[in-house]
Amino acid sequence: MRPQSFAWVRPSPLPPSWSSLALPDSPASLPVPAGWHRAHGDPGTMTAELRGPGGEIEGYLNATPQQGEETLENWGEFRVEHNRDEEERDVELLASAPGLAFATGTGSCVLDSYLTSSERPYREIACIVAGPSATTVIVAAAPPRRWDAEGAVLRRAIQSFTT
Amino acid sequence: MLPAQAKKAAASLAVMALVAGGATSAALAGGHHHRHHHHHHSGIPQHNGGDHDADNNGGPSDGDGNI
Repeated sequence: MRPQSFAWVRPSPLPPSWSSLALPDSPASLPVPAGWHRAHGDPGTMTAELRGPGGEIEGYLNATPQQGEETLENWGEFRVEHNRDEEERDVELLASAPGLAFATGTGSCVLDSYLTSSERPYREIACIVAGPSATTVIVAAAPPRRWDAEGAVLRRAIQSFTT
Repeated sequence: MLPAQAKKAAASLAVMALVAGGATSAALAGGHHHRHHHHHHSGIPQHNGGDHDADNNGGPSDGDGNI
């Protein structure tokens, strides 16, 4: 579905001003843009956020090891149905593509939007990437109103993700 | 907030009631029961029991393959 939407996905080095958060017991590392901060998440995962002046989330990155039945093959369907099961509403798949090149492997990505149960809208790029020894999901999200401002940073985080 | 698993259990009971009431298999096939095959495989604790990730607190959905 609209795979051309992911033509920008290509391996890129971590920008010099960025840092990264290594996942425990995993070769995966979450890129962290300058000015972003680590946030709390599930054990075994890494999360970074950009918060606005009022504390609202303006950008969100998360890397999580493959856990369940998510695969590169079913990712487009799995991710949007997972978001629905998370009680998100108005989940809309905007684009998806398999066979994308990452620095350490191959991935499948989706672009979708949803409304959380607390009425907060987000758009996300979510990719599952299979590396030599680990398969990991990276999520890059922002409110739609911040997408123009944060989209380039989110895409760069995806491009420089390793697992 | 009612946990998603509790909602699913309630939905399952509703489906059982429909079956007991003679609902057709065609009507059941129109639902989204296939969604529920994806989950509950991980060792990562969920439902805010050691899990305070954003997805369960109104923030963006994280990358977990469970709820």
